Amino acid sequence: MRELLLVLQFKLTSFLKGIARPSWQAQLKNLSSLIVFGGFALGTFLVTKGVTGYLLETANIGLFLYHRFLSMVLYVFFITVNIGNVIVCYATLYRSEEVSFMMSLPISHAKIFLVRFVDNFFYSSSTLALIGIAAVLGYSAHFDLPWYVSFFSIVAVFLPYMLIAGIIAVITLMGLIRAAGLIGFRWLLTGVAGVYLGAVYFYFKTTNPVALVNAVMEHYPDVNAYFGYLDPPLVRYLPNHWVSEFLYWSVAGTPDRAIPFFMFLFFTMIGLITVAGLLARKLYYKTWLTVSDASALRGTRSGRHTGPGFLRFDRYPWFERVLLGNNMQTTSLFKRDFWMFFRDPGQWLHFLLMVLLLMIFMISVRSLELPATLPLMRAVSYLVVFMFIGFLIASIALRFVFPALSLEGRCFWAVRTSPMSLTRLYFHKLGFALLLIALLAEVLAFGSLPIFSPDPFLTGIGALCAFFAAVALTTLHLGTGALFALFREKNPIRVASSHGASLAFLGSMLYLTVLVLLLVVPLNNYFQAQVLPGRSPESQFLVPVGIIALISIVIAFFSTRAGLSSIRKDY
Amino acid sequence: MYEAMIELKNVTKRFGPLTAVDNVTLTVRAGEFFGFLGPNGAGKTTTIKMMTGLYQPTEGVCLINGHNVHFNSLPAKRSFGYVPDQPYLYEKLSGREFLYFVGGLFHMKHDQIREKMDALMDLFEIGPFVDKRGEEYSQGMRQRIVLTAALLHDPSVLIIDEPILGLDPRSARLVKDTLKRKTKEGLTVFMSTHLLEIVEELCDRIVIIKGGRIIHEAVQDESKRFNGQLESIFLELTK
Repeated sequence: MRELLLVLQFKLTSFLKGIARPSWQAQLKNLSSLIVFGGFALGTFLVTKGVTGYLLETANIGLFLYHRFLSMVLYVFFITVNIGNVIVCYATLYRSEEVSFMMSLPISHAKIFLVRFVDNFFYSSSTLALIGIAAVLGYSAHFDLPWYVSFFSIVAVFLPYMLIAGIIAVITLMGLIRAAGLIGFRWLLTGVAGVYLGAVYFYFKTTNPVALVNAVMEHYPDVNAYFGYLDPPLVRYLPNHWVSEFLYWSVAGTPDRAIPFFMFLFFTMIGLITVAGLLARKLYYKTWLTVSDASALRGTRSGRHTGPGFLRFDRYPWFERVLLGNNMQTTSLFKRDFWMFFRDPGQWLHFLLMVLLLMIFMISVRSLELPATLPLMRAVSYLVVFMFIGFLIASIALRFVFPALSLEGRCFWAVRTSPMSLTRLYFHKLGFALLLIALLAEVLAFGSLPIFSPDPFLTGIGALCAFFAAVALTTLHLGTGALFALFREKNPIRVASSHGASLAFLGSMLYLTVLVLLLVVPLNNYFQAQVLPGRSPESQFLVPVGIIALISIVIAFFSTRAGLSSIRKDY
Repeated sequence: MYEAMIELKNVTKRFGPLTAVDNVTLTVRAGEFFGFLGPNGAGKTTTIKMMTGLYQPTEGVCLINGHNVHFNSLPAKRSFGYVPDQPYLYEKLSGREFLYFVGGLFHMKHDQIREKMDALMDLFEIGPFVDKRGEEYSQGMRQRIVLTAALLHDPSVLIIDEPILGLDPRSARLVKDTLKRKTKEGLTVFMSTHLLEIVEELCDRIVIIKGGRIIHEAVQDESKRFNGQLESIFLELTK
């Protein structure tokens, strides 16, 4: 225990010293982070409070249905925390130099596992925890819950819920690495991606939100009753259900019925920690060796030579001429990035997975049957789909654009000491990222938005806004990626889940919210005009779209400026 | 060709309250083999990083071949080749690809790179591993690849931070002989090292730096050699 506390104490000291850096630039960075995180937490608080109020008082969907929606949101949240932890755990528990060092010390493997797990959990889940806590507080504020109930809901219910997701992640990872020895990492990862996609699909297929809404609404206006018999049996064993049930009974005035759900969560958490500890004693060192062996094997592939991939492009001179402008520097950078991306399975597999998600999204949206309901509802549906497009673009930008400059890595000296202008390097990265992101944004816009209206005007507006969003989000992520570059981090996933990346993502969510708010009124008027023809509503888009363009240009300008000045800093 | 190939004029570098390099002024002439010595933390790598554009000096200027490295950086960078103390390579690229990459950054065409690479490959004996990926290299292999990359574009100045670090005796001999020959052909070498016997063997002139300040300068030529005395001079000055 003493060793464990000593290691944790040193980690905490190192973290605090990292925060309390003496330079005013570092303090300014900390302060701006605090403002952005604080602002986002406040925004989440207000949105949760407002949405809860709207659903329960204006839309009057009832306590039961509201908590079932909450349960679905919590399920997605659980999967997000879980996947985040699986991905980051691999780097923190298996690929970190700190672990290699600790393995050479007389500390038990289980303790190393525990220290690294705690480190990893806080590293990869702190932003999600902030959002979650702010949401719980917003929920509590709506129901006017006493402070101790809010506190209990956060500390004893919400945080254990997140911890359960994290522990399951690490147990899964240990099992996966053990299995990887049998079927290979590549196939295993593909299989795991399929399992996660399947888990989300089957959850929503089983809970069937549309059928649930119809079943509850049959009892209208008595929608505040408890309709627990509608829950599919399998769902009752899921932690998200326990959290929503705890909250339901807490606000329904029967806290005694909430306690069992807290107990389920608490004992599940304790049970899982015990299982993880026991498994770590048996498996952690073995799995760590498996990963180390795999890395060492990669480093000693006797006789296996890599053909000069750079020369393969020589067969396509038109490519270099047209796309790269026949410039040797641009050509060299492109070839380097191309081969480094496609030789790293972590990169192309993740990209493939995201493209798969985009396709699932488009297919799902295209299969939606929208009834001719209220214009406001049509506008809201349009904006939900648009927001989702923005969210997908932001996720791709976060994962692939934000780490772009950090990926120059410890080898950045080669570029920095060559006669290559850093402005050219920056715009080279920006150009390719923008081309890709804008293309994806347009495919998503043209692939999903036409379902709202056969009129090409509305799709055109969506496509135009998606283009502006692509410009703003790409420049924002590249600029902040340069500002918070981690040249010593080899793993792009860890870069994309760093403190700076969280800031960039929160910034992009704020931008998307503003964008959506600007489109509400003209969209509503547009759909109203379809029902009640009158004055042409098209012109009403002019000002909001103009403001969106302006905001996007301003973001692009300042992000690019910040990025350009950051890459010139001491390396 | 500019006579003074490297000029540092009153160069200072501060990191917050710490002054790593303090008002350093020095000149290295064309064709000279210059040794830059100092104990750990003396400011050698910081000075080199300012000379190569990796650090911006707080005060003063760094000129390479007459060009300011920070305000006229591209011509300055065209003039030198750089070998860092930690020669990191891209893990997923082979040595040959790395050389094509660096050649491209210096605007060299593939044919030119191939021709030059073939000559340097024999010189540094990198042929057996040049097509393996960076992740497979030992420190010595990386060092030889980076040396090849630094000489690929025929620079007039070579800036090396700890050139022999991690090399086996045979490779070290190879590098020393090559550097000696290149200097005779007119290459200017600025070398930072801890290894005093290498300095005695190779350098025409040395500077010793301590606490960021130059504390000693000495010339070594046919008439005046250190003859094994450098170690005692160094230890006395840096104690």
